[in-house]
Amino acid sequence: MKKWIAMTLASVLLLAGCSGSTSGDGQSAESAVEKYGSDTLKLYNWGEYMGEDLISNFEEQFGVNVILEYFDSNEAMYTKLQAGDSYDVLVPSDYMIERLIAEGQLQELDLSLIPNISNLAEGVKNLPYDPDNTYSVPYFWGSVGIVYNHNNVDPAVVEEQGYEILRNTDYKGRIYVYDSERDSFMMAFKALGYSMNTENEAEIQEAYQWLLEMNNTMDPVYVTDEVIDGMINGTKDIAVVYSGDATTILEENPDMSFWMPSEGTNLWSDAMVIPANAENPLLAHEFINYVLTYDASMDNSTYVGYASSNQEVLDELSGEGGLFAENEAYLPRSGYDKDEVFVDNQVLKQTLSELWIKIKATK
Amino acid sequence: MRQFRSMVYPYVIWITIMIVVPMLMILLYAFTTAGNEVTTIRFTLDNFIRFFNDAVFLDVLKRSLVIAVATTVLCVLLGYPIAYVIASGPEKSKMFWILMITLPTWINMLVRTYAWVGILQDDGLLNRLLGLFGLGPFPMMYTTFAVVLGMVYNFIPFMILQIHASLAKMDKSLLEAASDLGANRIQCFLRVTLPLSLPGVLSGITLVFLPAVSSFFIPKLLGGGQYVLIGNVIETQFMTSGDWNFGSAISLIMAVIIMISMYLTRKVDTDPAANGRSE
Repeated sequence: MKKWIAMTLASVLLLAGCSGSTSGDGQSAESAVEKYGSDTLKLYNWGEYMGEDLISNFEEQFGVNVILEYFDSNEAMYTKLQAGDSYDVLVPSDYMIERLIAEGQLQELDLSLIPNISNLAEGVKNLPYDPDNTYSVPYFWGSVGIVYNHNNVDPAVVEEQGYEILRNTDYKGRIYVYDSERDSFMMAFKALGYSMNTENEAEIQEAYQWLLEMNNTMDPVYVTDEVIDGMINGTKDIAVVYSGDATTILEENPDMSFWMPSEGTNLWSDAMVIPANAENPLLAHEFINYVLTYDASMDNSTYVGYASSNQEVLDELSGEGGLFAENEAYLPRSGYDKDEVFVDNQVLKQTLSELWIKIKATK
Repeated sequence: MRQFRSMVYPYVIWITIMIVVPMLMILLYAFTTAGNEVTTIRFTLDNFIRFFNDAVFLDVLKRSLVIAVATTVLCVLLGYPIAYVIASGPEKSKMFWILMITLPTWINMLVRTYAWVGILQDDGLLNRLLGLFGLGPFPMMYTTFAVVLGMVYNFIPFMILQIHASLAKMDKSLLEAASDLGANRIQCFLRVTLPLSLPGVLSGITLVFLPAVSSFFIPKLLGGGQYVLIGNVIETQFMTSGDWNFGSAISLIMAVIIMISMYLTRKVDTDPAANGRSE
């Protein structure tokens, strides 16, 4: 009996030893150290933003370890970065990347180490904040639109009123509003026909009044990620959400529909960057290249529901017979002239943030 | 003894780094303008003027104080009988109940508050239970009820433990003496037990009021983003607006309010006429 236990133990140890040192296509931890200078990658990404097997597959294929940390807002990530924490890969949004570039906090990428960049989708090429991918490689992208329950809200009304439906008192107490000054003011600016990057004081005041009236008459609930579960459960009838979250909602609840307002929307993208203080830039390049492969992008996009930055995956998922072929939220609208990308503007951001907390605090 | 004196230095250093320096930073931020270089610090009172000149912020402050007071009162009203029952029970059950009350505090507060979301939401545990009797569903999430419930739930252990501690160390022979002298049970309680347990109630009040007035994640989770209390305003200044100066100024205003309320509480505690202790 004892002998049997000892043998089992020995074989388990042997197996564990094997999988520890050699894996996947035969790369070992030692060779990873040789090749990249280290076998550990520190990744700082949004929560719930990766395919189920993405990390384990990467670790196995390249014989490395990934240390994962999650953030829930660009600002939280920025604060952590300012505090001196070092990461190898970050996945911030457009305006934050613009800021990090301006402040010299990012490394220039060596695109020869990222051959898969040729897989990039048309919609994420030549993005205004980094047109030549000098610093960043897109990860996911999308827009912001209105999800509504078509049993309780007439689609014709949504399409006619656009964002203005959030101030239609027929739906009082039935709406979710995204709790961020950026997205809320975007909707107000667009409803009023202004640019969401406006610095015009009168336009800002007008948008402030627009939102204040919504707050005072509509009894809205301000949430962030809770909006996904709330709409899946049909708790409210109307919500303004990110297209990727809308994809998930529409998959789970067939009563929900998606509308991209004709007043225009925010075209956003999140991209992978390497901070200047990264300890392991070589492995970071390898990871970025890996995310752009067909398999990894497919895993990411099918699991998370956001639009892939890989053209082949995007075509396959949204095309005939694809997983999201029937899902009107998956494929972001492109080439519509009222859609805009956020520009980094600290002064505007602070102004809007001040106004937003005042709107929410008004009872 | 002298050779032991140097052992104090690590603590002095620790206190300086962990308590004094952050406090001084907040003080400095509160009285300066944004964008300071280390060399040019410009002092200002603008941050305070801005707060007190804005009806919205004053409204938030008032709302926070009302919620905190309501939470504290409820904690006393619920916590006192619980503590009293536990303290007057047998020793063995005392240990059990104290354990039962402290047990939840071993779990992270954020997780426990999230659990309430699952209980209170429209298709949550409570509404489903009521549904079995043909009642509801009642919208409970994102209401004042949910916020106060979350606060009472999170902070009541501090109240119970404080009151229990002062009841447990009370000399039982005082009660016997009182009834020997003709006091009935109600008189015994009002004139002996209650005054003797008052220090526990007062420290319980401090321990509940302080976190309740500055809590920001309980209103955020259970009240929704539209439930803005002063803690949420401070959080926004640091996390999204990036206006650390204004955030520090509000923190400082809160600190002053808390200090005043603690001073008043202590005054009640040390005033012999108020609690009938013969000191």
